[in-house]
Amino acid sequence: MSERDATPALGTRGEPASWARAGADVALQRTRWGDAAWSFLFGRDTGYAAAEAQPGEVAEANRRMRSGPLPDPVEGPFVKAPVWTWEVPLYFWFGGVAAGSSFVGLACDAAGDGRSAAVARKVALAAVLPCPPLLIVDLGRPARFLNMLRIFKPRSPMNTGAWALVAFSALGAGAVAADVAGRPRMARAAGAANAAIGGYLGSYTGILLAATAVPVWARSRLFLGPIFVSTATASGAAACRLALVAAGVPAGHPTRTALGNLETGAMLCELGLAQLNQRRLGRAARPLHEGRAGRLFRAAEWMVGAGLALRLVRRPLGPRVHHLASTLYLAGGLAFRYAWIEAGKASARDDEAVALMGRGAVTRGDALRRPGEARRLASAARRPRHNGRVGAAYAETVRRVSLVVERALRP
Amino acid sequence: MSAPTEIAIHHVDAGRMGFFTDTTVCIGCKACEVACKQWNDLPADGSQFTRGGSYDHTGELSAATWRHVRFVEIAENGGHLPQLPAGNEVDVDAAVAAMENWVFMSDVCKHCTNAGCLDACPTGALIRTEFDTVVLQPDVCNGCGYCVPACPFGVVDRDPRDGRAAKCTLCYDRLQDGLEPACAKACPTDSIQFGPYEELVRTAERRVSELRRRGIEGAYLYGAGDATGEQLAGGLGAFFLLTEPPERYGLPARAESPVQENVVPATAAAVAAGVLAAAGATAAFALARGRR
Repeated sequence: MSERDATPALGTRGEPASWARAGADVALQRTRWGDAAWSFLFGRDTGYAAAEAQPGEVAEANRRMRSGPLPDPVEGPFVKAPVWTWEVPLYFWFGGVAAGSSFVGLACDAAGDGRSAAVARKVALAAVLPCPPLLIVDLGRPARFLNMLRIFKPRSPMNTGAWALVAFSALGAGAVAADVAGRPRMARAAGAANAAIGGYLGSYTGILLAATAVPVWARSRLFLGPIFVSTATASGAAACRLALVAAGVPAGHPTRTALGNLETGAMLCELGLAQLNQRRLGRAARPLHEGRAGRLFRAAEWMVGAGLALRLVRRPLGPRVHHLASTLYLAGGLAFRYAWIEAGKASARDDEAVALMGRGAVTRGDALRRPGEARRLASAARRPRHNGRVGAAYAETVRRVSLVVERALRP
Repeated sequence: MSAPTEIAIHHVDAGRMGFFTDTTVCIGCKACEVACKQWNDLPADGSQFTRGGSYDHTGELSAATWRHVRFVEIAENGGHLPQLPAGNEVDVDAAVAAMENWVFMSDVCKHCTNAGCLDACPTGALIRTEFDTVVLQPDVCNGCGYCVPACPFGVVDRDPRDGRAAKCTLCYDRLQDGLEPACAKACPTDSIQFGPYEELVRTAERRVSELRRRGIEGAYLYGAGDATGEQLAGGLGAFFLLTEPPERYGLPARAESPVQENVVPATAAAVAAGVLAAAGATAAFALARGRR
């Protein structure tokens, strides 16, 4: 595989693929795909021309072979494992810290602690800054990152997430700038708007994973978003707490107490939701226990557990233990993000689980859910897209700019 | 004919086109794979015996393999793959004697009515054409990789060297010139048939009926001819005549665009959780202040 010759037979490597009509018609061409029926076999020897099928006969045959128990053995592979590497879980974590910090900023403002709110807004901006580079590095063609914003496509969570990231970064920078310029009211407004966007930034990653054919992700669709929001809140609160300590907020200050309670509460939520989800996942839960993903989950649970324990025995050990607990929560949150991505890769390679999902027999809930019953965005009912002249011109401009950037950056 | 929806390119007078792949007449020659690679300038991706002990040496559908003839060697011999001797030396006589145990299926992108890859694509690189096929525009794709796990059939893949995703275009360039796709053209037994979708489905249904009349009770269509509500991803533009349960061919028994199936409930749950989290944060502060 690694030694294969990937030189294209025509064209230039890295150039946009293109083709052009040669001019004259192809020799012996028959119009309107008439050449598709050239074979002497077609319609004769192989029995295609037998009498019409009875109404419902084929549907019945299809139903019989596609229902019932799973044949043994199944022969995969069925779906492709995600190609995402370390950048994506790290981005999930940074985005989570940013989203959580935006919640903290909102809460600080609501409680009347403007100074802490300003620190939380700075943390949110600092956490969101590494996100775009991480996402760009993960692309197969990083120079074309602008194409993410080429269109607005509400049904693609990755597209809406990219737009949310842009809005969050812009508002976050605006809020910090307003803080620096001494405009607290503007900073508060921008921070509040950012908390609303943060609610999506911290959770859309869960939606994105749920909207795939990977069993462990798809079957956790109602839990992934809430789990990711919990991790985001806990890690954001932990990061803000450490930042406030560094900024000299004294021990016993209500904001520090509140943040400590918030991170512990959010982590307890995360653990509870994850447990609940694991129990109902049935056969699809296997990657959560086994292999690399299983080890990562256990490591994350140990870190969070240690943090919780430190919080409980805090009094005799002094304030430093609190900081250690916050750090453990942050590390545990990062491990959870890696673990979820790794679990998806393992789950996609688990042929039996994918096959069972197709038979509607992977989780206990599947048996009760009839196909087509779930609420869907049916494309069959969607009208043709009307971008308008402006939208089309914008999309085309972004495409061209991406290609120019790519050409300029090529070594 | 399903209503033309979400079509990015529209030409009057162009209808849905598709593939009908009849596995009962496939001889596993892999001519379609070669024709596809030649026409589409796809690089070779090695000849290796990878899938267990299978004689199939061209792997699976990938960014550089848009047609793949799958060898299903478990049809008759009690569910065991043949054991290849070490060193990849194949005993030709034994293989020929065991020919009866083989089923071949030329796998390809299904060009779904509800296409998961198209729903997932954040850049708009994946579009639906005037032939109701799903085509990836290589000059737009930035290689985000979301279409890869969003395909319920494991078709589309990201090329590790090129960086972009790639898949079957149903020879969009040939179709526009009135030619049939390269694989269908090359198929020596007409196992791969190409044509206007409705006509193709009727042909396939007649074939199923004929096979069942001859006593092959297991013959059925994968992706066409289903009752409404039982369709695979809303109906497949490229469908198959199979004689074994779908899982033997690496196909799920039920498939739907994962985006269409999951985005609405997942978003509802996630957004509710986001609101609750922000409320929880505010409550934690109110509590801490109240206690003071």
